[in-house]
Amino acid sequence: MIRRLYDYKDLLLVFIWREFLIRYKQTTIGVLWAILQPISLMLLFTFIFGVVLHTTQKNYPYVLFFYAGVLPWNFFAGSTNFAVTSLSGNFNLVTKIYFPREIIPLSGVAINFVDYLIGLAVYLLLLVLYQIQLTWNMLWLIPLLAMLVVYTTSISLLLSALNVYYRDVKLATTFLIQFLFFATPVIYSIDTVDNHWKLFLFLNPLTFIVENMRRVTIEGRDVVLWQIGLETFGIVILYLIIYRIFIRIERAFADVI
Amino acid sequence: MSSEQIIAFSNVWKKYSKLQVLNNSLRDELVSVITGRKCREELTEGEFWSLSDICFSIKKGQCIGLAGHNGSGKSTILKLISNVTYPTKGEINVQGRVAPLIELGAGMHPDLTGIENIYMNGTILGLSIRELRKRIAEIVEFSGLQDFVNAPVKKYSSGMYLRLAFSIAVHSPADIFLFDEVLTVGDEEFQSRCLDRINFIRLNKGTIFVVSHDSVALKQICDHIITLEHGKVLSGVDS
Repeated sequence: MIRRLYDYKDLLLVFIWREFLIRYKQTTIGVLWAILQPISLMLLFTFIFGVVLHTTQKNYPYVLFFYAGVLPWNFFAGSTNFAVTSLSGNFNLVTKIYFPREIIPLSGVAINFVDYLIGLAVYLLLLVLYQIQLTWNMLWLIPLLAMLVVYTTSISLLLSALNVYYRDVKLATTFLIQFLFFATPVIYSIDTVDNHWKLFLFLNPLTFIVENMRRVTIEGRDVVLWQIGLETFGIVILYLIIYRIFIRIERAFADVI
Repeated sequence: MSSEQIIAFSNVWKKYSKLQVLNNSLRDELVSVITGRKCREELTEGEFWSLSDICFSIKKGQCIGLAGHNGSGKSTILKLISNVTYPTKGEINVQGRVAPLIELGAGMHPDLTGIENIYMNGTILGLSIRELRKRIAEIVEFSGLQDFVNAPVKKYSSGMYLRLAFSIAVHSPADIFLFDEVLTVGDEEFQSRCLDRINFIRLNKGTIFVVSHDSVALKQICDHIITLEHGKVLSGVDS
């Protein structure tokens, strides 16, 4: 992928830059939205879970619990949502000029990743405010982030390519994302789930990623090595298969779009 | 292939489908991922040959006109040259960078300003950001839109749109330029500037393809005209 994209790195940069420009065009406060959105989300959670409901999960504030889960989730949902229509929506480019097609869905992953990093900064601030004991285990966030990005990229590529052929994909994705939201422990903890459902939930790599992101930050524990090894292996294999298919069917995009 | 030759089509066939939903094509592609088998070469229901058995070769610095009725395969040839699509049968050899003039509005975003769209369109055409920085003044000057470059493109008239798109395309350092039905747009003054630029490209050994219905205009600028009918070459290819 890197070899294929190297010649087109400027195009990828411009696509990312374009998405940012478009997003904040004709807004009065512009880029401030990038910071305002995660902060308003945080304030909302703090108010609902901290003031109104007083809920706690596993002895730590629900605000942290929820925020830790919703950040990676928003990144995944935002990227895939962008990707689905990214190729079919740019058909006038796809049918006129050649460039590696993955650039368009990838630019969506990239801008959502920037949002994610801003959200992550707010999250770290929250951890400090709630006086959570920070440990070196937090560094596990880095491989977990990498896994999340690779997995999100794979799914984005797959959905964008399929939607070129069948527009059903766009309609189905709305449901699929909602389904995955509940299949990922964002608003609940995996520990509250019955054992025979647990295994089923772990088929979804997001479950592992979200659970462990909480574990290494709020709980300060480390990840189980064989688990992360297995999940990484699965994610990489999935990526390789999807990318190979993408490159193969990319040749026909201009004819079927 | 001699060094002077820049584009060579040998026995090129291209199949298209009239059907809206291509149930078979994705399955075909997936099967071929596993087996490595090529696409089916026969026609099935709803398919037709957009190009059949096209052979020609183009030398550096030539200006080629493609003429023919709607649906005779002119644009398909441009798509094959720019690598957007692939031939069903036959071989195509293209050497060098290709700059297609993207049709009106494609590749431009209405909310972005003229300058922002120059960067957008320029990188799509294969220029690097650094190259664009160097050329941006020249591009703006050529388009004659100095007063509007900081306005969003949605406020442009359709003529201004095209001037901007054309200016970006002709300033790319490509070896092959493809112009699809664009010469008739723009006022006379701009058209003559376009023709000057086309001559300038040819002097610099650039190769140009022009597609148009306007045979008078084609004769004026091209040194060779290929006429197509129903996907076959009617005239214009010397052996």
